[in-house]
Amino acid sequence: MTGLGAAALRLCRELGGMLVLAGSVLRALVPPRLDRRELAKNLHKMGNRSVPIVVLTAFFAGALMMLQSGPFVKKLGATSLAGWGAGYAVLREIGPILIALMFSGRVGANTTAELATMTVTEQLDGLRALAIDPIRYLIVPRVLSMIAMLAVLTVIGDAVAIGGAAVVGRLMLDIEWSTLFHSFADNLEPADFLHGVWKSLAFGGAIAIASCYFGVSVRGGTVGVGRAVNAAVVASAVSILVLDFFVTYVSAP
Amino acid sequence: MSALVLTHVTKRYGTRLVLDDISLELARGARLGLIGPAASGKSVLLKLVAGLEQPDAGTITVLGDTITRPHVREVDLGELRKRIGMLFQSYALFDFLDVAGNVAFPLEQRGGIPAAEIAERVAARLRAVGLAGSERKLVGELSGGMKKRTGIARATVADAELVLYDEPTAGLDPVTTQKIYDLLAADQQRTGASVLAVSSDVAALAELVDEIAFLYRGKIVYRGPARSIRDAPDPLVRQFVRGELDGPLTEAIG
Repeated sequence: MTGLGAAALRLCRELGGMLVLAGSVLRALVPPRLDRRELAKNLHKMGNRSVPIVVLTAFFAGALMMLQSGPFVKKLGATSLAGWGAGYAVLREIGPILIALMFSGRVGANTTAELATMTVTEQLDGLRALAIDPIRYLIVPRVLSMIAMLAVLTVIGDAVAIGGAAVVGRLMLDIEWSTLFHSFADNLEPADFLHGVWKSLAFGGAIAIASCYFGVSVRGGTVGVGRAVNAAVVASAVSILVLDFFVTYVSAP
Repeated sequence: MSALVLTHVTKRYGTRLVLDDISLELARGARLGLIGPAASGKSVLLKLVAGLEQPDAGTITVLGDTITRPHVREVDLGELRKRIGMLFQSYALFDFLDVAGNVAFPLEQRGGIPAAEIAERVAARLRAVGLAGSERKLVGELSGGMKKRTGIARATVADAELVLYDEPTAGLDPVTTQKIYDLLAADQQRTGASVLAVSSDVAALAELVDEIAFLYRGKIVYRGPARSIRDAPDPLVRQFVRGELDGPLTEAIG
């Protein structure tokens, strides 16, 4: 019972800490005085370098959707819906979730490790001693970069995943290119695409706050860095799935 | 006016009392050394003075500004911190910058200083600490001594009014230690800055500061002239400074 209470208190402390950090980030944006070098560096590091892994993941995710749904579609003679089935799942669910989880593992974990190392080596105190606000200098550029880049990567991933679905549909299930194209173009709507983009923005914010919070609140020296990364990845994954439910519920067609 | 005034300052971490009702004053341009056994709260005191930590009780006034809550918030300390230089015990160098970038950082962040002047001042400072030629090295490529010297260069490049040194020569060889203390003394003469320095090397510290205070179990139990610290009237201080095994300090800490 005591352990349960302690766990509940820890959860409340961490949720509260993340909310306070999110508030500090919002406050630091008014007025928006950003270190442009730091922002550009993070946009490049988090975005450009994530493209290969996102492309690879998205291609196979799209291909898998088609591989799973295609045989049933063909059996029922509804090949004109094959592209729609795969595309709908990719744009609304699989694309944003899968790419967010990949992003959390690559960028979120890296951010936590980087900030946690800076914290235990007193670099954050070093910044404060030089009259630099670590929130404004380190956290805000990372949060903005993660939100922006996850949305961009999701758009790229959506396109690649639909391509993957089309390739499998044509080469493995023998569906005509024109049928696949019309299936995508006639049945998918901008709302399906935007639904995924909204989700990616929410996921990006959650990953950013969780990874930065666990990075700057690390305790226990270098051993604590590993624990912080672990906690950040778990918190990000849970946040992604919880947010996915609520965003889907609120914007359900 | 005083550079620094601590009034009845107390600091705890959990149940551990680190600083116990400390009062301390440092005049403008004065130089005070702080010594004491390990974990006696010396580094914590420096962090309190820099406003990086808040005391549980008492007030701290630095260069005329009170920096303790509720008088001030973190965001209000920016301007004051530009007038303070600090060398951390763990260096606190930014590993995302090279040596020159670290030393230039305080000047760049102030704004309004031409790039050519920054480059000139950084080069001069690196020459002074013996790091000319290491400008482009990353922090991870430096030895402990080089990191310490980079930290000293960063703490002193902006000619602060109050300089806080936490173990300025720990990890340095005796020759470099002497060079660094000569440099710090020359800097202080040139700028007239007030100095608060923590060091385990009491003999070298005595060359830099006018007075030495002994911190023991969270309290300042002695403060006296640096030159005669070996002959301090307090037996605790004498034993600590002379490094003697037998005495009241050994009996107290076991």
